[in-house]
Amino acid sequence: MTTDTPLLEASNVDFAYGDVSILRDVSVSIRAGEVTALIGPNGTGKTTLLRALAGLQVPTAGSITYHGPETAREIGYLPQHPEFRPGFTVLETLRFYASLVGRGDDDAMARLESVGLADAATRQVEALSGGMTRLVGIAQATIGDPPLVVLDEPASGLDPGMSKHVFAVASELAATGTAVLLSSHDLELVERTAGEVVMLDRGTVVERGSPTSIRNRLGVDSLQAVYEASIAGDLSSVRVQGETA
Amino acid sequence: MTGTPTPASEATTTTDADSETTVSKPPTDRSGSIYRSKRIIVRELRTVSRTRTFFVLSAALAAVLAGIAWVGGGVRAGFVPTVVDLLTPLELLVPIVAVAFGYRAILGDRRRGELDVLETYPVTPREHVVGVYVGRAVGLLAAVVVPLALVGGAVFVAREEPLGRYASHAGADSPFLFARFVVLTVLFALAILAVALAISALVSGTRSALALAVVALVVLLVGLDLALVYGLAAGFLGDSSLVYSLAVSPLSAYRGLVFESAVITASGTGPQTASPVASVLGLVVWTGVSLAVATWAVKQ
Repeated sequence: MTTDTPLLEASNVDFAYGDVSILRDVSVSIRAGEVTALIGPNGTGKTTLLRALAGLQVPTAGSITYHGPETAREIGYLPQHPEFRPGFTVLETLRFYASLVGRGDDDAMARLESVGLADAATRQVEALSGGMTRLVGIAQATIGDPPLVVLDEPASGLDPGMSKHVFAVASELAATGTAVLLSSHDLELVERTAGEVVMLDRGTVVERGSPTSIRNRLGVDSLQAVYEASIAGDLSSVRVQGETA
Repeated sequence: MTGTPTPASEATTTTDADSETTVSKPPTDRSGSIYRSKRIIVRELRTVSRTRTFFVLSAALAAVLAGIAWVGGGVRAGFVPTVVDLLTPLELLVPIVAVAFGYRAILGDRRRGELDVLETYPVTPREHVVGVYVGRAVGLLAAVVVPLALVGGAVFVAREEPLGRYASHAGADSPFLFARFVVLTVLFALAILAVALAISALVSGTRSALALAVVALVVLLVGLDLALVYGLAAGFLGDSSLVYSLAVSPLSAYRGLVFESAVITASGTGPQTASPVASVLGLVVWTGVSLAVATWAVKQ
């Protein structure tokens, strides 16, 4: 892999559930050492694209190719609504996942420390708040040092302080050379954190580039303005793929 | 499970919906596979040991079996009378307990999104299913074997006839016959647990898991036997093939095996009630096919 080669490359990806088309001709490149943010209205196919890029769903057409190094775990994944098996402590949960890639207790504890949850190590996972569960999910996603970490709405439902913390963790991961791909509706934090933004609307990519380059291209002063200028139709309506397309 | 995106170095292409789509291959190293399955087994064992419901079920099973053996007089009469006393209750209770141990095992991981997360680790669907099955099986066997061992111990102490003859002698009572009965009960329990695990992997919700578990219990406990009776009455099954046909039903296979290897051996007389080889094969096939179905379902 050269420095110009993306870590993960999706080319002309289509995805459909039966007759309902979710993604159409989507091409995305994810680079190492950078936070790539996927933004767009609800119901526009962000989670489907993230799942396809994480290898959890096979696209109907197109190809997704990983160019990164061979490791025990190539892609880490945080689901949109992370949950863990009840009856286990936070540390036991991470220890289990770490053991699957040959890592020990120290690594599990280090992951917890990296997301600021070391004090909750002995707490039962079912006793965690939503934000803490999400942080444990992020810690889980980084186990095995995967070259790419995919985070589906990591700041969803979190208070501003916790959201900022989650994005800071994503930035720190990128600073270590990891490619971070995340989706979010917090455009201010995305603008501050992401090196690359991919805007999805009705299953297609409508904008891509660094926040600055997109803003300059459209002659606006914020990502929020980019969003409003780029998204077609009524912003107050949820996109229901196959119904309005 | 669908696997991670294709590494550029080993990209393969398959056709999906008339279009080219890349898919990947899971890791296949044998020692790593055993190691990862072990990790999943340990996780399942911890889950079983920390779930109060399983303890309650196990205690209830132990109480019922001990009660039947005591009230029925089997404890004082000997090992084979105890087998005869316990056989019918176990035909009902073992499937219920086995289904309780397995029907949500994989479903729980799926509902929490942990199947998706596990897919990003080097764990194949087969390793996952084997790990879950073995872990739950250890818990189930503890729930079934411990009460039977206690009952066997009680018979050993309380039996009125002196112990001194072996199973090889017709008309004899022997702890070895009881041990055979325990082993056959274990085989039966393992087969039903595999069916429960397949259900757990096929369904997407707890209600559908419960509904399918009830359907499976009705089919396994009543349906297949009724089908055999119908086949015999309608002439589809001949008298000579009946002992082999019983192997199709796990319940009939278990019952036939217990009669053939414990009850009739002790009594020394009686018609052939089952083909032991076909019956064991039947239980093994039910176990294997169910685990294959579970693996296939996890892959999806």
